[in-house]
Amino acid sequence: MLFQTTPAHEELRAKVRAFAEEEIKPIAFQLDQQNEFPDEAIKKLGKLGLMGIPYPKEYGGAGLDALSYAIAVEELSRVDGGTGVILSAHVSLGSWPIFAYGTEEQKKKYLVPLASGEKIGAFGLTEPNAGSDAGGTETTAVLKGDHYVLNGGKIFITNAPKADTYVVFAVTTPDIGTKGISAFIVEKGWKGFYFGDHYDKMGIRSSSTAELIFDNVEVPKENLLGKEGDGFKIAMSTLDGGRIGIASQALGIAQGAYENALEYAKERIQFGKPIGFQQSISFKLADMATKLRCARMLIYSAAEMKEAHVPYGMESAMAKMYASDIALEVTNDALQIFGGSGFMKGMEVERAYRDAKITTIYEGTNEIQRVVIASHLLGKPPKSESSSSSKPKKPAPVTGVRKNMILRDGTAEEKVSALVEHLKKDGHDFTVGIDIDTPIVQAERVVSAGKGIGDKKNMKLIEKLAKAAGAAIGSSRPVAETLKYVPLNRYVGMSGQKFTGNLYIACGISGAVQHLKGIKDASTIVAINKNPSAPIFKNCDYGIVGDINEILPLLADALDTGDKQPAPPMVKMKRPKLPKPAPIGKTYVCGGCGYEYIPELGDPDAEIAAGTLFEKLPEDWVCPECAESKEQFIEV
Amino acid sequence: MHCVRAVTDNLYWVGANDHRLTLFENIHPIPKGVSYNAYLLLDKQSVLFDTVDWSACRQLLENIEYLLNGKELDYLVINHMEPDHGASIEEILLRYPKVKVISTEKAFMLMRQFGFHVDGHECIEVKEGDTYSFGEHNVTFVGAPMVHWPEAMVTFDTTNGVLFSADAFGSFIALDGKLFADEVNFDRDWIDEARRYLTNIVGKYGPHIQLLLKKAGGILDQIKFICPLHGPVWRKDLGYFVDKYDKWSRYEPEVKGVMIAYASMYGNTEAAAQALAAKLCERGITNVSVYDVSNTHVSYLIAESFKYSHIVLASVTYNLGIYPVMKNYLEDMKALNLQNRTFAIIENGSWACKSGDLMQKFIDEEMKNMTVLNQRLSLASSLQEDKSVELDMLVDAIVESINS
Repeated sequence: MLFQTTPAHEELRAKVRAFAEEEIKPIAFQLDQQNEFPDEAIKKLGKLGLMGIPYPKEYGGAGLDALSYAIAVEELSRVDGGTGVILSAHVSLGSWPIFAYGTEEQKKKYLVPLASGEKIGAFGLTEPNAGSDAGGTETTAVLKGDHYVLNGGKIFITNAPKADTYVVFAVTTPDIGTKGISAFIVEKGWKGFYFGDHYDKMGIRSSSTAELIFDNVEVPKENLLGKEGDGFKIAMSTLDGGRIGIASQALGIAQGAYENALEYAKERIQFGKPIGFQQSISFKLADMATKLRCARMLIYSAAEMKEAHVPYGMESAMAKMYASDIALEVTNDALQIFGGSGFMKGMEVERAYRDAKITTIYEGTNEIQRVVIASHLLGKPPKSESSSSSKPKKPAPVTGVRKNMILRDGTAEEKVSALVEHLKKDGHDFTVGIDIDTPIVQAERVVSAGKGIGDKKNMKLIEKLAKAAGAAIGSSRPVAETLKYVPLNRYVGMSGQKFTGNLYIACGISGAVQHLKGIKDASTIVAINKNPSAPIFKNCDYGIVGDINEILPLLADALDTGDKQPAPPMVKMKRPKLPKPAPIGKTYVCGGCGYEYIPELGDPDAEIAAGTLFEKLPEDWVCPECAESKEQFIEV
Repeated sequence: MHCVRAVTDNLYWVGANDHRLTLFENIHPIPKGVSYNAYLLLDKQSVLFDTVDWSACRQLLENIEYLLNGKELDYLVINHMEPDHGASIEEILLRYPKVKVISTEKAFMLMRQFGFHVDGHECIEVKEGDTYSFGEHNVTFVGAPMVHWPEAMVTFDTTNGVLFSADAFGSFIALDGKLFADEVNFDRDWIDEARRYLTNIVGKYGPHIQLLLKKAGGILDQIKFICPLHGPVWRKDLGYFVDKYDKWSRYEPEVKGVMIAYASMYGNTEAAAQALAAKLCERGITNVSVYDVSNTHVSYLIAESFKYSHIVLASVTYNLGIYPVMKNYLEDMKALNLQNRTFAIIENGSWACKSGDLMQKFIDEEMKNMTVLNQRLSLASSLQEDKSVELDMLVDAIVESINS
């Protein structure tokens, strides 16, 4: 047993390497700089039959094994980590669930074009409140006759919006946790299926990552993948395999950086000899090579186990965790060997250093990989009362209880005038105002621009509205940081300025959690956005769904009272608080002493778990204070 | 000499009044005194229902001796063992060696714990629904656990409709010759003290009062007299008092109005409380009462809290916390289970104002079913003109809440 790949594997490696060196390497720096997706190269990859490596030929695949697929991802990543993940997300996440759980019809309709490279696939699981914990999924799918109606959104979706086919997870049975999640095949272009921002990432910038928005998307019943409630199982088994892809990506990135560093260490001469022969550098190289070999063994072994249909969940987690952990170490050492040169843009090690980081985070953070591995070693933990991921829970909106009055009826003019009426009724006096340059933290009112504002010239609309509303100007983070429409000290959010005044008008702001945290103490939040599923609407008092270009001028006109009087010192308007959670069951009081049994608390001394209803207490349970029996208790 | 009054045929009040006791249960002031009621039934057998506090024992003995007129005392029914009623048991046992004692299992346990030698006597242990006949009069025993002790029971005489209600339906204030509630102006002179008695002594046990009221509800038309262990006997308009008990034990406010309780060190918080009271009255909310928590005994504050629908807490910050007397009032409200009130907060602090947040947190987290109005008035040392808008908003919020 030599632990070696076969000649066929090495032939495939040579083929992919040649492709990567010829097609990707020359443009890799440009892709990285421009945040650009290699459309042409991916098409060619499809023509070479590399987009469906592990799938049978009858479904348009190459009919090769999982190891071949791992090698392909590794080789692409060796040149460009972003291109590597395009393949990995397409094969492991976008296509595999259809291959494993799809009906014959679904496979013919969706898997064939995916595996043959005509179309690109993606996978939509992550949400703002459902990262490592899929139990927090909030996207819903409601069955209506012959179709499901999908509402909600997904974030950080690799290959979106480039992909044509999306495997999307949504709650079909609410309040039962992960068992209520189902999987659906959703096509790009369906009515109500939009894409949000293309994220501005630290690394793997040649891969496309975007937000998915579902606004009453009708999904035909036959696009349900597996059965209702199978979603969580499908997602988890998909991620088992996906880990092999990400592990290979990490390995490839590290391998590329290592090779570059090795070469440089042989060329760079200091103190009269190549630095590679300085012990400090040579030891680094030795460590790097050892780590790479370890990672490669783990990955190839997991791929072989998958191919042989033996349980491989733990081994793929080990491979992903280890390969990505050492990818950070290896790229770091590689950059160190390059010295100052490695710190320069355009250097491959600089890109590899940034590209590597995501591999410890996505498709299960390395912390979650350790959870997976440990659960294989230890089994299920003993039952405890603490909440688990499968427990249903509904997170409250970030900004607390809001009126959530979305104005839908009538023309844009009518909606705007209804909004102004509400604001005036709530006590906002628009005959007075503050300067538009008032610091955010001191401002009574802020009109804030999000990326939905579009072109820079539209900031004129914001300015006009701010003046009409007697407000200061603020923005979301990207508008200040990426678009640079306003100075950095004017973006509102957890990391930026906190707004605690009375009126916040969010224009074209979708409502990222960090932004919402910055306005949670605002007395009134108004949202204007064309995307009705934007989280800002769940977090606002008043909302208008509509185009910025139409609504903002109308609102400015409606609020304009000519020159504003200087505003008197701000009187903070208070707002309702979060209601207390409803009791989980009835409270009972002891007839022997007046002790109250509260189900939320249980009786820890008698090992009665918190959350145990009085009715479920064991028959021999007695009052912890006076030892009276259960019968002596009366309902409160 | 004896001092007795007839309740109805063959039934006599044999208790006593106490004006010398300063603090009831050694905690609650009783400036108008209190009565300890015991009742003697002269049927074929003679029956004493409960005894009195040790300080009134001589009067009880003289009263019984006079009415028995040389006969034996046959039975002693103990509805409630608390020493303001049970302390004279031992003396009765010594003077009437053949007396049979009727009570609950727990009451007998308590008698032994308090050192009364019942074991030489016949002890008749009764439980819910048991009946007994003393000749003409048949009685039914009904458990009243946690009103407000676990051993308590009430005894209903089905022959004449007399309910011996133990501490339920009792009141502070000495009887001073009067016996019946219809012999005094109860709603004018007694209700505040009756409320202060009930809310401070039994307030915590609302659900158990409700249980007892439910049991009484079934036989309400048969009840002709309510004979409590303190305060007057009820023979008319029973519904008036039953209704009060129902409200108190459900923790429903009796009236729409505002109680303002302030904690003020130098009069600045007090000034804000007064300004608020004036503005409320100007707005037509005249059912307002104002209390300084530092010189009002907490039992009065509790009684008023049970009465009013709205409570304004105005407190200075003291050692970065709630002013201790105010904190004590809050703790007492929690202990007595007060619920379903709307609070407003005035906070004061000269360098780090904490009292408002802390009071709000206490109300939100430690108490049940309370609402705190958002409009809080925050003072830095004293109420100045710049706060008039905030004060008006607080007034608006209270007025709106009361009128809603």
